[in-house]
Amino acid sequence: MTAVDDRPQAASTHEVGRDRRRKEDQRLITGRTKWTDNLVLPGMLHLAMVRSPLAHARITGIDATAAREAPGVIAVLTGEDVKDLQGSLPCAWPITEDQKAPPHPAIAVDRVAFSGEVVAVVAARSSAAARDAAELVDVDYEDLPAALELRASAQDETLAHPDLGTNRSATWVFDSAEAGTGSDVEDAIAEADVVVEREFRQQRLIPAFMEPRSTVVDPTGEQFVMWSATQVPHILRLMLAMTLGVDEGKIRVIAPDVGGGFGGKLQVTPEEIITFLVARHTGKPCKWTETRSESLLSAHHGRDQWQKLTLAAKADGTVTGLKVELLADMGAYLGLVTPGVPILGAFMYNSIYKFPAYHFSCTNVFTNKTWTDAYRGAGRPEATFAIERIMDELALELGRDPMEVREQNWITHEEFPFTTVCGLEYDSGNYEAATERAKELFGYDELRAEQQRRRESGDRVQLGLGISTFTEMCGLAPSRVLGSLNYGAGGWEHASVRMLPTGKVEVITGSSAHGQGHETAWSQIVADQLGVPFEDVEVLHGDTQISHKGLDTYGSRSLVVGGQAVINAAKKVIEKAKPLAAYQLEANVDDLEFSDGKFTVKGAGADQEGVGLAGLALAVFAAHDLPDGMEPSLDADATFDPVNFSFPHGTHLCAMEVDTETGATTMRSYVCVDDIGNVVNPLIVEGQVHGGLVQGIAQALWEEAVYDDQGTLVSGSFVDYTLPTTADTITFVTDRTTSPATSNDLGVKGVGEAGCIASTPAVVNAVLDAIRQFGVKDIVMPCTPERVWRAIQDGTAGAMSETAGAAAGHFAEGEPNQDPPGTGAAPAAGTTQEGGQA
Amino acid sequence: MAMELHHTFTVDAPPEATWALLTDLEQVGGCFPGATVTSATETEFTGNVKVKLGPIGVTYQGEGRFVERDDEAHRAVIEGLGKGLRGLGNASAKVVLQLEPEGSGTKADVATSLNITGKPAQFGRGVMQTVSDKLLGQFVECIEGKLTP
Amino acid sequence: MIPPEFDYAAPTTVAEALELLAEHGDEAKVLSGGQSLLPVLRMRLNAPGIIVDISRIEELKGVTEVGDAIRIGAGATYQDVLDSALVREHLALLHTTLKEVADEQIRHRGTVCGALAHADPAGDVGAPVLALEGRMVIQGPDGERTVDGADFFVDLFETAVGEGELLTAVEIPKHTGWGAHYEKFVRVSHQWAIIGVAAAVRTDGGTIAEARVGLTNMGSTPLRARAVEEALVGQEATEEAVAQACAQVAEGTDPPSDLNGQADYRKHVAGVLTRRAVLAAAGA
Repeated sequence: MTAVDDRPQAASTHEVGRDRRRKEDQRLITGRTKWTDNLVLPGMLHLAMVRSPLAHARITGIDATAAREAPGVIAVLTGEDVKDLQGSLPCAWPITEDQKAPPHPAIAVDRVAFSGEVVAVVAARSSAAARDAAELVDVDYEDLPAALELRASAQDETLAHPDLGTNRSATWVFDSAEAGTGSDVEDAIAEADVVVEREFRQQRLIPAFMEPRSTVVDPTGEQFVMWSATQVPHILRLMLAMTLGVDEGKIRVIAPDVGGGFGGKLQVTPEEIITFLVARHTGKPCKWTETRSESLLSAHHGRDQWQKLTLAAKADGTVTGLKVELLADMGAYLGLVTPGVPILGAFMYNSIYKFPAYHFSCTNVFTNKTWTDAYRGAGRPEATFAIERIMDELALELGRDPMEVREQNWITHEEFPFTTVCGLEYDSGNYEAATERAKELFGYDELRAEQQRRRESGDRVQLGLGISTFTEMCGLAPSRVLGSLNYGAGGWEHASVRMLPTGKVEVITGSSAHGQGHETAWSQIVADQLGVPFEDVEVLHGDTQISHKGLDTYGSRSLVVGGQAVINAAKKVIEKAKPLAAYQLEANVDDLEFSDGKFTVKGAGADQEGVGLAGLALAVFAAHDLPDGMEPSLDADATFDPVNFSFPHGTHLCAMEVDTETGATTMRSYVCVDDIGNVVNPLIVEGQVHGGLVQGIAQALWEEAVYDDQGTLVSGSFVDYTLPTTADTITFVTDRTTSPATSNDLGVKGVGEAGCIASTPAVVNAVLDAIRQFGVKDIVMPCTPERVWRAIQDGTAGAMSETAGAAAGHFAEGEPNQDPPGTGAAPAAGTTQEGGQA
Repeated sequence: MAMELHHTFTVDAPPEATWALLTDLEQVGGCFPGATVTSATETEFTGNVKVKLGPIGVTYQGEGRFVERDDEAHRAVIEGLGKGLRGLGNASAKVVLQLEPEGSGTKADVATSLNITGKPAQFGRGVMQTVSDKLLGQFVECIEGKLTP
Repeated sequence: MIPPEFDYAAPTTVAEALELLAEHGDEAKVLSGGQSLLPVLRMRLNAPGIIVDISRIEELKGVTEVGDAIRIGAGATYQDVLDSALVREHLALLHTTLKEVADEQIRHRGTVCGALAHADPAGDVGAPVLALEGRMVIQGPDGERTVDGADFFVDLFETAVGEGELLTAVEIPKHTGWGAHYEKFVRVSHQWAIIGVAAAVRTDGGTIAEARVGLTNMGSTPLRARAVEEALVGQEATEEAVAQACAQVAEGTDPPSDLNGQADYRKHVAGVLTRRAVLAAAGA
């Protein structure tokens, strides 16, 4: 740690900061736990979805006779059967007043708008019977032209939803001159000594959580009970009520153990609505569990943008303006927060740099593909990638070291709190400290020297260094800010602390963990606050009947917002216990102090016994002898709404080796030094950082959702959606610097997304840095060996003034970056990848 | 997935004789590997195609018809649409035939395109593409075979 | 994922298996390790009437020495073969290739003969078996016949094994003392080979006396690069000489184009990998 938190600590800190093994892991890794798909209820039916194989088509007829007659089948429902019941799936974030969007049916009624859309559901006595019968549902389609490629779709060449009249859903603009937070970017560009313009492609990704989605609905009690593999049980309950017109009090949603989400389970899904409808229709408990193929095909995707950046700078390298123009692919429909995802990045393109002028505009576009929505980082990885790529490009234009140019422009640690050109106040940070530590761990200067040697010797394996000095906004979010962005809800979080008569403590949190380790971290926090043993704290979450209020888990918000709510509730418990303690100690309330779980009288000496919280809890339970007028309860609730985001940051350095003969890339080393403020559990943090890094690296090197020219997802299994495993990654070097957040008592900033946000540009910058000497300017992600090799071929051809012949052509129409010669493979015969590149 | 195959060959028979055979939908339809023509008229046919290849075994049911037929110019366009059984997705094919006299014989130009949507794409690695290319190749070879005594 | 319904039979003798195959004709599918068939069934890209599981046939198990060859029974898993001292000693190329097949779990279930019968050109075992001149033993209603690699691999997923027949073993001539290397090119470790090159080399005092080169996923079947093998004979095991001999390896091949690479890229990389594989096999 290069910085020290010297603020006074209210509570003792025996637990916070310890690398406690996770409480929840024993049951999770031994499989003795309850996933949604493990649930078996009496008389339960199993559902199978019938999905459209076509990207865009009119449904001209559905013959379900054979399916209805198949063995074990109880019901088959089509869109026609439920059209008056199913409502429209919710979008909670209409980004503009005039946003256009088609209705979003759970089961398509007369038209399908993407391949994978549900057209019917079969309920049967077994899951095998349901699947067999689903194949017997005979659907007639009349093909419609499909809008597939994002840029062509933005031009309305083919309409994804003919009734809408356009594919453009909305355009959202932020301008620093208009907002009064900065100057005019066009002036900055006009007056600039250096203008760097680049286009980048954010390929489409698939969240690929480990546990496939699953939903069980039991309609047999007073409340409908829905178990679902969701990140957002509270939001789901509210949305079910609003979408289906069912009294909210009659719905209970439970997220049991949930196996990962990465934003992919931040959704209200068609299948959840359908399971509910079928359960209500049949009067029996119903279960739906997806196959992996269904998951890749129909669970929402992420990213998928074209980014155009214009950066203005002075000759000395000082940045003077940044203009960002985005096209974002919504896919066929707007999901829960689909339109807002690119907007979450709007305030992050300026990143850690002191741009005086900034303009951001984003046009959201419909296509006939699976809809996109939140995926780890949601908007911020895209922003970080673009700014960190173009800062390298600026350095290149200036002929300077990329780190030096960054340093020249970033906010120095003396300048915090710093109000950015977007109007956000960065409360704390120290970019110099993180960078210094990262460079030291990385051996930056030695690697640069080796790179030079390899270049000079013409080594077949070239070395490149990539930098990403990132920041992000976490802790979603101040409700006031969300309101100003038209978001449909607030960003507070709720918690309760219950003192049990035995002295044990129950903590109820509105965050909904799905792998993050809340049970452990919250126990550590409460153990310190109340002075009780770590083991005595039980954390409950994810059931709207137990945790009646909450806004769930996403956007690195749990600890920053939910953790503070827990602290506030714990503090209230202490305050409620104080009069009873004073009564028992026969002292004045004002003379008491609380520490290590005990009230003592100030100045009464170290050997006094005092009264412990456990004893007080029992006394309150008995309620035989309480001060007059005291309510017999120590339990307390708290709802916390942050006033600001938190801003983790860090310096990530990556060294990549490129085999110039084949284009294969190998990671040589990866160092990250993150400043995520104070840390509750370093082991959990390490896990979040490692997992995040791999997901970000995967965008750079491996993953892409690819559609063919018919709108069929051809990367529809893990054969082609090349998800990495541990065998593909190296040992990361991680460290931290600490500048505590000022927005919460713990001084924490959030770490759920940091690795994923930071790593992608570090890797791509490194790959490019290894082969720029061949004239390579850009490589489209993922940087496959073929793309890298072609980039080298094209670059070399250009540099040697040879006419291209052997290698693939130059930038094809639809390729990012206008500067020829470029990269990118020719499209596979007959298949068109996203954006026309392959 | 969309596949295109262009094939040209010459036969000894004169264009008229060749044309008669090529416009016999039962013959043309039956040339598709694994195809069984269940009924055929002058202008359309119905049938099924069983694609059996290694581990894969899928069946399409469908129909085909002339969408264009010019007996003078010896040009025809045949379209076929197959619906995959068991929720497989669709396959559609378009065949453009053009005959021209060449010496005493005929030069035949066959342009076929095939579109496949749905589940076969899940097999991955572009294998279905290779499969389709192969099927198209066999189709055209069969036609050529029928014309070449 | 649940496959469509099928009948299941697990014969314990080859004769019984052949009877079942004869009885059910093209409704029957043979299940060995299931690493290729089960995914296809689960994707519902096939719905056979009956699965004939040959994994309980004792006579098909094991790796044995048969004269100057090593016989690998149809019941032998990749791991059985990897663990075989005979294979390690006499078929170094097969041994080293099998280490690269998929992952640990798959290697414990999948079988070498199952992969050969599946005839996926991206599968790893075809190239070394072809290069080492393995002979496939096929049993059918009319008895046993032996087919060499060139005749065995017919096309994509197509082999010389006819309806009602069963691949019962592969016999591979010993290549004792040959150096060997399998160069597998993938983006992520568990992936099918984008390209693979299997090379075995017998050197004689720094000179290549004999060479065998097999290619994975460079066409609709595994391929043997005979021209390269011939060009290598008599060459010094130096980078320059080997590179020259391997330069034309892709000539005449027809590799696929897919998300991992276009045909022209595969052809280029094949040249690079062949050079590397041969040099590694030669210990250079």
